[in-house]
Amino acid sequence: MQPRKLVIAFVALLLSAASLQGQGPFAPKVTGPLSQRVVAYQIDAKYLPEKHVVEATETLTYHNLTGKALDHFPFHLYLNAFQPNSTWVREAHRDGNFRTSTFDNGWDAKRSGSNDVISLEVVGMGDLTKQIKFASPDDGNPDDKTVMEVALPRPVEPGQDVTFKIKFRATFPEVLARTGYKRTFLLAGQWFPKVGVFWNGAWNCHQFHAMTEFFSDFGTYDVKITLPKDYVIGATGVQTNDTDNGNGTKTVAFHAEDVHDFAWTADPNFKVLESQFNGSVGAVKVRLLTYESHQSSWQRYLDVMQGTMKRFDEWYGPYPYAQITVVDPPHGALEAGGMEYPTFITGDTVWWAPKGQKAFPEVVTEHEFGHQYWYAMVATNEFENAWLDEGINSYTEVKVMDSLYGKNTSLLNWIGAQMGNAAEQRMSYLGVAETDPLSRNSYQDMSMGAYGGVTYGKTATMLLTLEAVVGQETLQKALHAYFMKYRFTHPTQEDFLRTVNEVAGQDLGWYWQQAVYGTQVLDYKVRRAESTRVDWANKDAPEEKKGETLYQTDILLQRLGDFVFPVVAEIKFDNGETIREKWDGQDRWQRYVYLKKAKVLSVEIDPDHQITMDRNYLNNSIATEPQRGAVQKISTYWLFCTQFFAQMLSWLA
Amino acid sequence: MADDSKGLVAAGASLVWRRQRVLWWVFAVNFILSALGTAATRNQLQQVLGQSLAGQPLTKGFDLGMFFELVRVPESNLFASHGASLHMGILFFLFMVFVTGGILTVYREDRKLKTGEFFGASGAFFWRFVRLALFSLIPFAVLGLALWGVNKLSNYIGDRTVSAQTGFYIFLAGAIVVILLALFVRLWFDIAQVRAVVQDEHKMWPNLWKALGISWRNVATLFRVYLCISGVAWVTLAVGLFVWAKLPPTAAPVTFLLLEFIILMQLLTRLWQRASSVTWYRRHAAMVLVDAADYTTPALVELVEPIAEMPATAKKTDGTAEERSDSQDARLAD
Repeated sequence: MQPRKLVIAFVALLLSAASLQGQGPFAPKVTGPLSQRVVAYQIDAKYLPEKHVVEATETLTYHNLTGKALDHFPFHLYLNAFQPNSTWVREAHRDGNFRTSTFDNGWDAKRSGSNDVISLEVVGMGDLTKQIKFASPDDGNPDDKTVMEVALPRPVEPGQDVTFKIKFRATFPEVLARTGYKRTFLLAGQWFPKVGVFWNGAWNCHQFHAMTEFFSDFGTYDVKITLPKDYVIGATGVQTNDTDNGNGTKTVAFHAEDVHDFAWTADPNFKVLESQFNGSVGAVKVRLLTYESHQSSWQRYLDVMQGTMKRFDEWYGPYPYAQITVVDPPHGALEAGGMEYPTFITGDTVWWAPKGQKAFPEVVTEHEFGHQYWYAMVATNEFENAWLDEGINSYTEVKVMDSLYGKNTSLLNWIGAQMGNAAEQRMSYLGVAETDPLSRNSYQDMSMGAYGGVTYGKTATMLLTLEAVVGQETLQKALHAYFMKYRFTHPTQEDFLRTVNEVAGQDLGWYWQQAVYGTQVLDYKVRRAESTRVDWANKDAPEEKKGETLYQTDILLQRLGDFVFPVVAEIKFDNGETIREKWDGQDRWQRYVYLKKAKVLSVEIDPDHQITMDRNYLNNSIATEPQRGAVQKISTYWLFCTQFFAQMLSWLA
Repeated sequence: MADDSKGLVAAGASLVWRRQRVLWWVFAVNFILSALGTAATRNQLQQVLGQSLAGQPLTKGFDLGMFFELVRVPESNLFASHGASLHMGILFFLFMVFVTGGILTVYREDRKLKTGEFFGASGAFFWRFVRLALFSLIPFAVLGLALWGVNKLSNYIGDRTVSAQTGFYIFLAGAIVVILLALFVRLWFDIAQVRAVVQDEHKMWPNLWKALGISWRNVATLFRVYLCISGVAWVTLAVGLFVWAKLPPTAAPVTFLLLEFIILMQLLTRLWQRASSVTWYRRHAAMVLVDAADYTTPALVELVEPIAEMPATAKKTDGTAEERSDSQDARLAD
């Protein structure tokens, strides 16, 4: 071989080796570190599929950047939630869970999961396994083992590092609350002992609750997973190595930086599809792990990912990572669907999903990608302020879905029926409009329904309504500012509210007090719309004539709810004139009187339909002419249903 | 046998057409009862939406969000009167149980019955058909259980296979079988009803078993007829709903007419099945009478049993036919 050819061959070899070794953790134009890296996890795990168990060794290096000496460390052991007497199961049994039944038919052993810490050593301090104690800071439940604490023989001084070596076994339940197995599929979420967050001067390490999610510190993850070699695997971060062990297993290595959790999935039946999103910081690989039987959804997944990533990139800021992994769970694994982890999300679909409905896979995929911004990068405390991630994400879901699929058809446009994403959020909110303020600790909401309706629906509806005050563009700028300022940190709700105030250039305290800190309900009503001849008392008055007869028009608006909000009322007259009146809503009612040679046709509060928090749309308007269309249509459908039911029943005659 | 089926389908259709007054009456009662059942909802809607602009998204399209608002808001109380719809459905069922005797008599005699004759025949068979309807709950309950079993099985197998479709196809196959079996049960009970009318059979339990034997021995012909007519009903329903989905949202009168046409076709096809079964029974009863006389084709004797006073087969418009009907009615009065 000639020397030049040898050089070319060598370079080619290097390039192919580089590609085999995987890519860096960031998009091309991004260099780290992006966060204050508090933790560095190195985990060496072995998956035993027949037992649904992972045996692993975790090395955690914690950098004490708290400014205080730390003499004890709490850890989350989330899989211990899946035990009959845990706080999570008690709450799920009482209120249900987003993804789970209430276990009314008894506890099924297949639903059991656990994190067993076999040994815990602190480098330089020895084996502290016997120092492990379980704590229940939220409810004192002695049977809850989702938080363990380790007291150190000597404190870790500010600026110092401490390294834990933990041997543990993770036993997965049949898929339950975002984690577990189904047939050969495994979604490994919350599977390793994870240290709490030292936040606002104290450890923040809540028990696992049925109604909330997670909170953890940013750092780096180097994870090696050994599993049967026919398994296809995907995980947080990027793959850096894949070694055939020669014994029917392989070891796959992943690396992630500036993330605060690590999840992975594996299944020999996965089909891998890849595409690329070219954003403002370079190309991002979109890796979809799906199934043959979900073929009808493949393109839909990829399309919604492209559209969503483009809008987030343009509206809120760049996605800085090199890859996003999208997992399409298999049938029967619904509880693994619709979940977010850093650079790793799970969607959801059904093989028969009609294209006209966008709930699966579009909405769920969009929503979970949105969490890359509102959770993965802007890493708020999900235990306490779930509205800051789920709620803001539900608002941006509305904006993105409306932009992609049309405002009134972003959830459904099928067989003559339509529904927008905003309407879904509103419905979710209306059911629990007065139960809980957004500012309440999420896990302490009244019920699972209240948690869902308040956290997701109320926030989205509240922000949509805010557009009526500050404008859509201003709110978009505020979210952009909030993202850029607080990404890779743990902001509070006050940080968010302050940012919106600053960008809007006004103190919105009056709004936050009612919408965030309060449970006030917004409901305005047109009570009266009437035109009366001015000369009604004159028996000899000339015959009524359009354009010549003078009328007094009385309009009466009423505020039924205790939420004070400025509204616009649009009054239309039969001479084509339209008047818009602004009412600050401070008083309980407001009257408008007009003297015109025209009669009122209609009055409508919020004619632009921006105030989505208004509890009752039906009383927002009065038309003086009968409005028959909707009555006729629904009556016709209802009549048809009754007739059809009757004739079906008569089949038995 | 296929020709026989075709002939029966056509003859059944022809009979329904000739006696279409029955269809229109049944349709009218279905419509009136349903209209009564939904009147409260209509009034409620009128109160809430009659003067409000909020209904416009429902007029210009069908905004489910606004529909859910209606369902949710206490003032609209949309489904408060669903009980009335349910009750009217049950009332229509009872009405059909009542008039089936009259309808079968009309088809048997193929002539316009006087009101008194019709309701006389309806009343004469009412309690017999109530008993039959109660008996029919047994096989239908068995089929319901079978469907439940199919569902469990499909879930069990589907849960253990990688393909998401497997469970569905198992359920689909099982459901089709159950539906076909249900169609056979309907056919069986229809024959029992026809037999009760033609034979003036009073004992429904033995009648049921004889009807089963007849239905089973002639399953190829009868089932094909029923399946064919059911196919018309299903296709009409599917096409009707397809057209409905394509109609402009503001085309309210056309939508109303289309939906009513769908209902009319569902009722028509059911009466068509009944007319076909009556026609079949009449034809074969007549054959048995002839065959039984010379004993040349004993196999046919098993089709249906000989009838003592079987009316003539075709259009009876002359005085003789009236006499026969009178004698038949005299037997019904007994």
